[in-house]
Amino acid sequence: MATRFIARRFAQAALTIFLIVILNFILFRAMPGSPERVLARNPNVSPEAIQQIRERWGLDKPLIPDQLIAYIGATFRGDLGDSFAEQGRPVTEVVGGRIGPTLLLFGLGEILAIVIGLALGAYAGWRRGGSIDLVGNGVSLILYSMPYFLLGMILLLIFSSTLHWFPSFGMTTLGVDHDSPLAYLADLSAHLVLPVATVALGLIGQYSILMRSSIIETMSDEYITTARAKGITDTRILRNHALPNAMLPTVSLIAINLGYVVAGAITVEVVFNWPGLGTLTVDALKSRDYAVLQGIFLVLSISVVFANLGADMIYGRLDPRVRA
Amino acid sequence: MRSTIRARAGRTLGIVALIAAALAPGTTSVHAADGPLILKVGTDQEFSGLNPWQSVYVLDYEVFTLNYDLLVGYDKDLNYTEGFATSWTTSADGLTTTFKIRPGMKWSDGQPATADDVVYTYGFVLDALAKETTLGSGYLDGYVSSAGVKSVKAIDPETVEITTETPTPLLLAAYVPILPKHIWSKYSLEQIANAKADGFFANDPPVVGTGPYQAVQYDTQGKFMKFERNKNYWGKQGAADQIIITHFENNDTMTQALKNGELDYARGINADAFDSLQGQPNIVPVEGFANGYSYLTFNGYPKAIKDGGSSTRATADPAFRDALAWGVDLQQLVDKVLAGHGTPGTSLLPPFQAKWYVAPDPSVLRHFDLAKADEKLTAAGYKKDASGNRLDKEGKPINLRMTWPASESELATAAQFITEWWGQLGIKVNAGVTEDQTLLVDLTPPEYDPPGKADFDTYMWGWVGDVDPTSLLEPFTTDQIGGSSDTFWSNARFDELFKKQGQTIDETERKGMLKEMQEIFYQEVPNIPLYYDSELHAYRTDHFGGWQNQPPDTGTPLFQFGPIGYTLLTDATAAPSPSASEAAPSAGASATAAPGDSGSPTSSGGANTGLLLALGAVVVVAIVGTLAVRRRGAKATEEE
Repeated sequence: MATRFIARRFAQAALTIFLIVILNFILFRAMPGSPERVLARNPNVSPEAIQQIRERWGLDKPLIPDQLIAYIGATFRGDLGDSFAEQGRPVTEVVGGRIGPTLLLFGLGEILAIVIGLALGAYAGWRRGGSIDLVGNGVSLILYSMPYFLLGMILLLIFSSTLHWFPSFGMTTLGVDHDSPLAYLADLSAHLVLPVATVALGLIGQYSILMRSSIIETMSDEYITTARAKGITDTRILRNHALPNAMLPTVSLIAINLGYVVAGAITVEVVFNWPGLGTLTVDALKSRDYAVLQGIFLVLSISVVFANLGADMIYGRLDPRVRA
Repeated sequence: MRSTIRARAGRTLGIVALIAAALAPGTTSVHAADGPLILKVGTDQEFSGLNPWQSVYVLDYEVFTLNYDLLVGYDKDLNYTEGFATSWTTSADGLTTTFKIRPGMKWSDGQPATADDVVYTYGFVLDALAKETTLGSGYLDGYVSSAGVKSVKAIDPETVEITTETPTPLLLAAYVPILPKHIWSKYSLEQIANAKADGFFANDPPVVGTGPYQAVQYDTQGKFMKFERNKNYWGKQGAADQIIITHFENNDTMTQALKNGELDYARGINADAFDSLQGQPNIVPVEGFANGYSYLTFNGYPKAIKDGGSSTRATADPAFRDALAWGVDLQQLVDKVLAGHGTPGTSLLPPFQAKWYVAPDPSVLRHFDLAKADEKLTAAGYKKDASGNRLDKEGKPINLRMTWPASESELATAAQFITEWWGQLGIKVNAGVTEDQTLLVDLTPPEYDPPGKADFDTYMWGWVGDVDPTSLLEPFTTDQIGGSSDTFWSNARFDELFKKQGQTIDETERKGMLKEMQEIFYQEVPNIPLYYDSELHAYRTDHFGGWQNQPPDTGTPLFQFGPIGYTLLTDATAAPSPSASEAAPSAGASATAAPGDSGSPTSSGGANTGLLLALGAVVVVAIVGTLAVRRRGAKATEEE
């Protein structure tokens, strides 16, 4: 039963990914423009040269079926093409090099946001009307409604430009050869603080608000009243009964959020000049670097699909009724 | 018991604060006290890579002029000076130029650099031209073909002879880096020219060149490039041991980094950020003339285009365009759009081109005069109807579409003003931004491959030139319709003069031709040059000195023509100057700021403050937490 559940989910995921691969291609090629067009604004470049460049990159062949089939075939062989803007570097290399930084930034940010946001929301909901609830709610709403880049710029202005506590851009200090892994870690940590804080603050708001209303709802359930009447301590009730049930919507939210986290990635990374997928997306979009764009969105689509798959599994564990 | 949740929360926060404090900068020293002297440069452009033939942006040109020498270099006044060659003479018939190559010159890897390398490089381009193979992006081979180079010969290891089809001023101006034959000849034409070819030669670091600095690291994510001093460089050695050029996605972040001391130089700063840098200690904002201009162009396509083209034939009429040009207040645009950082447009050659720029004669010079514009429109046959709408010669009210690329966002303000002014002339303007690539598609005429519809009435963009004025004139030739022309204007006399000036070496004679071309252009108004926007750069003086603008009155130290700006730099921290270290951004600047310190704000002084504050926060949280716990305990029992 459980295995059929998992197997079915995996099959669905595989189909989704295949459809995404096709959609990816069509979406980006449907945009007007083409990478080599920008060369037309230089009088040194002859029309013959531009045509030759189009041919080199396979941009002159008909979109469907030639280019589409070539693309699908290549993708499933693991060949994601070459980057036009980066002089033919393989997309797997270009995109692969940027996944790490984004994962680091958003991984840490999400973890922080989940831990703090859920704790905050749970406590606020449990002690509804208390000072933490009132203050927490207000702060969460403000953070939730603020765009990432604004948060980022404010933190940058206060903690980097004014107080000089943290560097303002990049992953590590430029040009420095670190004497030891510890030195590298320290430098990296210093650069991580502000961007991670931005991501975490942006997400805490959502998680705490959702968790809070979840807990409030759960609290009014009869089994909670029963448990209290039986004399079980608040902590025990919260941890063993209320939280697991209240977590369900939040787990879904976290998985759904992963898709939107991409949009956030772009703005936060741009503000802090973080060398991740976000900044790569902006660059590739501007230059219509199709192969790179397709590569990025493939990676992201797969992540979202698997994140939702993971959420389904966790849901299954948290709520036995789902597994049936 | 109930209260433990609050205490737990308090303790968790305390732990988080401690972790934050531990991670606070400065806990571990990240750089030795006297490492290499590093120049840090920021730009908003992206890198294309290290294969010069694939160059597209100014940044790419900057990269290859650091790595390599051009055959002929530029001095601080933009006059020709020695590059790979030390001197040259042209034959009487103007067809053969003999270059003397520096004796004893070495590549950065120690191999001798000789005439053979020149023959290889130019020969390589000639070979590509003969085989009709585009070299990379096609930018650099254009220089060799427009100079009409026929052959390149090494007479001896220190002498090269280049022959051209006609006498031409464009040979010395050919912006082609001389590449080491012993590295590059191992690769085929395809492998160098075609990024999609198997075994494409990307010229990954470490690069071998004769320029002052070579790339030793190109960050695989493409965000920065690190250069190291060429110990074998024939010219003056700049103070920097290393140069790091970083691409910034966000302009404001770049400006902040400059203010923080994390950068020594920033290129392409926003106007408002630029103004905020005035009066900042140790920062010098530089306003350089741009070698280009922003313009408003009209769709001058002479024939009707099915499902495309201009909405009115008026845009193809020089008299109409001239009249409308009287309805644009160029000075206002400079003041409002550029915050004063520019000069009103006149000729299609910017004043930066000091040798060739000719201002329009006062008798024909236009200025802002709506009454005159109205008069001229009516006289040209564009009358107003009863409701005040201006009609074209076909009797239709004139509604002009106006657009600009998203990358030039300040043009939105220009559009607002122009809409207002032309509105008073009875011409409705529908203005809106278009994404860059989409705009490129909209601009293409049927002559392009694949054919376009030139579906626009007016739009605004800009041109940027080379040291030689030819590239700024070329988009207005008939040959470039279907290429770089976005006005589709065609003038036989302009074309004729263009061809002649490309073959005239005598500068006075050439200037006469360029003067006439500028006059024709001003008269027919294929586009209205709006303004010559300034290049806004800024640099710090507490780390490096000896900054030299190229050219001195109108240029900027870096990102001009050649590496001279880098070679003239001196070490500002070497001179005893107590104010220099105080000006370092971190509060309580540490006395260990030795030369070689890359000036990062994460020096011990600032970190100590951070640590203290973090510890203070922990203490506060702990106190508040404990107190709250006590209170809560009391309150909880009340509630139950």
